[in-house]
Amino acid sequence: MLHKSFQNSAGAALLPAHGIGASATKPAISIAGLRVAFGDVPVLHGVDLAVNKGEALGIVGESGCGKSVTWRAVLGLLPKSAEIRGEARIGDLDLVGARQSVLDRVRGGRIAMIFQDPASALNPVHRIGAQITEALRLHRGLSGAAARAQACRLLDQVGIAAAASRLNAYPHELSGGQNQRVMIAIALAGRPELLIADEPTTALDATVQAQILLLLKDIQRDTGMALVMISHDLAAVAAICDRACVMYAGQIVETAPKHTLLTAPEHPYTRDLIGAIPPSHGPRMRLTAIAGAPPQRNLPPGCAYAPRCRHAIAVCRTSRPEPRQVAARHSVRCLRLDAGTYQ
Amino acid sequence: MTLLRLNNITRRFPLGSPLYGPRKYLVAVDGVSLDVEMGRTTGIVGESGCGKSTTGRIALGLEPPDSGGVLFQGFPLPRIDSKKWRAQRRQMQLVFQDTLAALDRRMTVSALIAEPLAIHGIGDPASREQRVAELLHGVGLGEDHGRLYPHQLSGGQRQRVVLARALAPKPSLLVCDEPVSALDLSVQAQIVNLLMDLQQELGIGLLFISHDLRVVRHVSDRIVVMYLGRVVEQGRADAIIDQPAHPYTQALVSAMPRLPGGFDHYVALPGEPPSPTDRPCGCPFHPRCPLARDVCRQSLPELLPLGPERQVACHVVRH
Repeated sequence: MLHKSFQNSAGAALLPAHGIGASATKPAISIAGLRVAFGDVPVLHGVDLAVNKGEALGIVGESGCGKSVTWRAVLGLLPKSAEIRGEARIGDLDLVGARQSVLDRVRGGRIAMIFQDPASALNPVHRIGAQITEALRLHRGLSGAAARAQACRLLDQVGIAAAASRLNAYPHELSGGQNQRVMIAIALAGRPELLIADEPTTALDATVQAQILLLLKDIQRDTGMALVMISHDLAAVAAICDRACVMYAGQIVETAPKHTLLTAPEHPYTRDLIGAIPPSHGPRMRLTAIAGAPPQRNLPPGCAYAPRCRHAIAVCRTSRPEPRQVAARHSVRCLRLDAGTYQ
Repeated sequence: MTLLRLNNITRRFPLGSPLYGPRKYLVAVDGVSLDVEMGRTTGIVGESGCGKSTTGRIALGLEPPDSGGVLFQGFPLPRIDSKKWRAQRRQMQLVFQDTLAALDRRMTVSALIAEPLAIHGIGDPASREQRVAELLHGVGLGEDHGRLYPHQLSGGQRQRVVLARALAPKPSLLVCDEPVSALDLSVQAQIVNLLMDLQQELGIGLLFISHDLRVVRHVSDRIVVMYLGRVVEQGRADAIIDQPAHPYTQALVSAMPRLPGGFDHYVALPGEPPSPTDRPCGCPFHPRCPLARDVCRQSLPELLPLGPERQVACHVVRH
């Protein structure tokens, strides 16, 4: 049963909808105090996040950190057993606990999402032309020749050669990379303000991965829509995003512009994640292996990362860190930073 | 010393029924030669369908080559399923990507690790038990893990069990087929470190197959780049990544997201890899190659030396 609580965290008070900061650009979506639990297992512990219009935001973290659950919760794509609290505002509309009819208009219309495995997201028994025109009919009210012409334009926009003839192809006749392009075309059909790409290239080959990521970046730049890219590969996120959030155990632990995050990361988890990526040039150093595993059910009493953190001190095991602004647009959730003892 | 040598290996698979018309073949591996040195790592990179996994299977004798030969420790591999081959399999082990499929989910971790010891008749039950404890410790698992079943472990822990199982009969060659591709980056780092530590400690030769150039660069001494069943370039790992010579290697290296830098040096490669059932004539890469000339459409370039310890199969870059 979806259920909503109105006791919001401090983050909600800063939302443009509440009158403060309305002069700044209105975010495409702002999420405040989002909590998700499956039965008695909490998976999100209060996510506060705003995506600005026209911005490319990356969400990075290990499997199970809640990076996909956040966006599935926002779009109402989680199973019924999920208990969702908090709010996710797009304009004046709160998506958490919204009625199905409202969500149906938002999903694929104002917010579109693409997934890791395009072959299973597409319907294998329908031609791709029919699948694109379906989205055009639902969200733009187009039909017949107009829809087909638009579908052709969309395929062209996502870089599929001979678009007109490809409309008649079935998904199995296309390669994985081309199917992902078709998924992007369907996502673009509703002219979304926000496109969420959930590990869009994990299943693809190296050269195709680069093609798809750069295509997403180009489309985001050309159309001015906001893009959220979810990935476990910080390097891939950094290649196309302006800003990135690092998630750990159902919370955002660090948010910063891409350049800051890569050159001056503050949270030990971010540093460890960067150290775990094999360098692409220079000497081969030993990789940073993060010992242990993320907390499975309930969070430890202190910082969620403390059991694995190499810099943890006594206080980290007893009290929970709150996000702290260390510079403009750079916030970190780490107690050692608060105490000023961490370098 | 050369531990494993593949000599001009070719493997093709027939397609369709032999009754209708001339038979078509899928050429998975076409004239591949490579070496794995004792205690060293040779990495194979390439995109899906380039024949890298088939090459690995041929190296172990799991797949017979149509032509060419496999030399292990200087001797040809015995016939598959012969007694001699079974005895030699002790020396050569395989690690797969999908750990849940590689482990019998009705056996405990200890039983799984002891199984290869029993199959090869190594030691008696008591000494096997001790060896299992050693192996668990060696791959960074505790004795408690021995009592668990595969589904109770995380992906990284399962890959450790697969490694322990492969190392149990003390092999001298380990073929790793995408061993870390299904893992998170942080867990991937653990397994890569473990693999490199074990290699240093035990002096085993590794044939490391992956599509991830960053990981291959990190673990390998030599890199072999494959495209549509053929080796297009091979040489020392850092030389291949820092100064790729073949246009395909250049594209592959440029598509690797760098930190920092992203895709700053990205070279767009038109199209996608053609199907191995329908290979273009001449150089298999010519339809996508920015440097292609007439000669590339007509004749197949041979793998020839270009500088020290490097070979390239390209008509154009050699001039």
